[in-house]
Amino acid sequence: MTSVALSGALNTKRRAASNGDAVLGLLLVAPIVIAMAALVFFPLVETVWDSLHRVNPMQPGTPFIGVANYVNMLSDADLGRAWINTFIYVVIAVIVETVVGILCASLINQVRVGRQWLLAAVVLPWALPGVVNAVIWMWIYQPGAGLLNGILMLFGLPFDNHVWFNDRVGAIIAVSVVHIWRMMPLTIVIVLAAMQGIPDHLYEAARIDGASRRQMFFSITLPLVRSAIAVAMTNATVSAFNLFDEAWVLTSTSADTRPVLIQIYLETFQNLHFSYGMALSLVVTVVSLLVSLIFVLRVYNTTRYD
Amino acid sequence: MQPPSLIYRLTVWIGVALLLLWSLGPIYWTLVSALTPSTDFSNRPIHLFPQQLTLTHLERLAGINIDRIGGVQVWAQFRAALFNSIVTSLAATVLCVAIAALGGYAFTRIDFPGRRVLFIATVATMAIPGYAVLIPLYRLMIGLHWVDTYVGITLIYVSAFLPLALWLMRSVFEALPISLEEAAQLDGAGRLYILFRIVLPLVGPGLTAAAILTFLGSWGQYLVPLIFSPTLTKPLTVLIPEFSTKNYIDYGLITAAGSVAIVIPALVVIFLNRYLISGLLAGSTK
Repeated sequence: MTSVALSGALNTKRRAASNGDAVLGLLLVAPIVIAMAALVFFPLVETVWDSLHRVNPMQPGTPFIGVANYVNMLSDADLGRAWINTFIYVVIAVIVETVVGILCASLINQVRVGRQWLLAAVVLPWALPGVVNAVIWMWIYQPGAGLLNGILMLFGLPFDNHVWFNDRVGAIIAVSVVHIWRMMPLTIVIVLAAMQGIPDHLYEAARIDGASRRQMFFSITLPLVRSAIAVAMTNATVSAFNLFDEAWVLTSTSADTRPVLIQIYLETFQNLHFSYGMALSLVVTVVSLLVSLIFVLRVYNTTRYD
Repeated sequence: MQPPSLIYRLTVWIGVALLLLWSLGPIYWTLVSALTPSTDFSNRPIHLFPQQLTLTHLERLAGINIDRIGGVQVWAQFRAALFNSIVTSLAATVLCVAIAALGGYAFTRIDFPGRRVLFIATVATMAIPGYAVLIPLYRLMIGLHWVDTYVGITLIYVSAFLPLALWLMRSVFEALPISLEEAAQLDGAGRLYILFRIVLPLVGPGLTAAAILTFLGSWGQYLVPLIFSPTLTKPLTVLIPEFSTKNYIDYGLITAAGSVAIVIPALVVIFLNRYLISGLLAGSTK
């Protein structure tokens, strides 16, 4: 009897404690819930809802227009151009950041002395504000006094007053270089961390079997860092879809180089097509996530057989 | 083990030199340009090392030799922008890390209704880019009269970086052995005592990593303050591109202001590199 009573008392005590715990837990997460609900979830729902209406501060009322905003996108020539530009940026950025990033990571992996400092130097461009990076490169690309033309002329090349933003190809490459300069460090850090996690004895065994460095890179290193590469490619994709600062500072609103995000900004805050801008931002979000998903799935499928 | 061949070592060193040149070259050039007289800018052949140094550009920023652009004093604008950048980034960092630390602890250690759903919902918003909520946020901030205020912009930064900080803090708490807390609980210590006196002092590195990521993220924002901090609370990132107008681009001023905007993140990277890397890795393996 006493033991039953005792355990009953203990139970109620425990229940009281866990009730108190639950209240405390909810109190501790309350700031998160309030902040996220007010500043992310509620606005997100509103974005979805408003994208189905005509919201324009210049026109009265917000009538329901169904998917008209989404249908209009299909016949929007400026938008089509912006999409093509964005895809070009994504392809250039993801390929260069991945290939060169892997090479840089394996290079840093070979360095024994001062690796920490080398890594700090490599990460630095990523840590700087995007617009400041863009301004730095604007100065480097400057036709009359810029560093790039100056160096090319030191080599005797005819780049006196060469304007890098005159043609579309040049401008897109110039913007991509700035974006790559900022985002490649992330790829390097992610891939390098995976490389450092590969056990040494794998390389020892391969060396005893007489494998060359190139063979070891392709048959040990690369397969073992595949999932890290997928993560890095996902990051690279999402950040290239989100390209804004670099293009905005370097080429302003030029239609030749304008990525989708600048198109959204112009539609929304210049043309005041609020709901069209919202529909667009949802589409960009979904597309960038789908493209990233492709990398993840492909990599998981190919690694499964190793 | 055979020693690496000379050619191999040479290749590595050349590669490292190129990598350093690529990463630091543009930064070096900015710092040098900030100290070069404007009249020397278009000297050809170009001098990769400055021929003569000047403090003119920095003095104009600091307001020592007062200069005017378009009737507005540059130094007053610059000082306000620097102050705004520091205030908003620091406020967002402190608030974000504090909220994430408390919430992260609750999400890992305390059982309460809705725990899983709330955590997943919060972390999933990392996949949603900020511009998808920008317009409703703008209307919300106008309704609250929070456009161009410290409160408004700080709260937006907090909501933007909270998911990442929370994700990081939870992984830090999860790595902590629970036996310590259980022992304290047996001794009759309350939850809050355990959290503040035992757990938080142990997760300093995790807090530092979350703080660095939030600070660097807030410091580098452009599109958000362009919309939400247009005048009174305008940060450096919005001010610096304004130095280039259609007719005249003052590169001396731009590189000098850019150098200031570079120095603070650079110090963070140099002195807190280890925490930054661990934070980046925790944040990227979503």
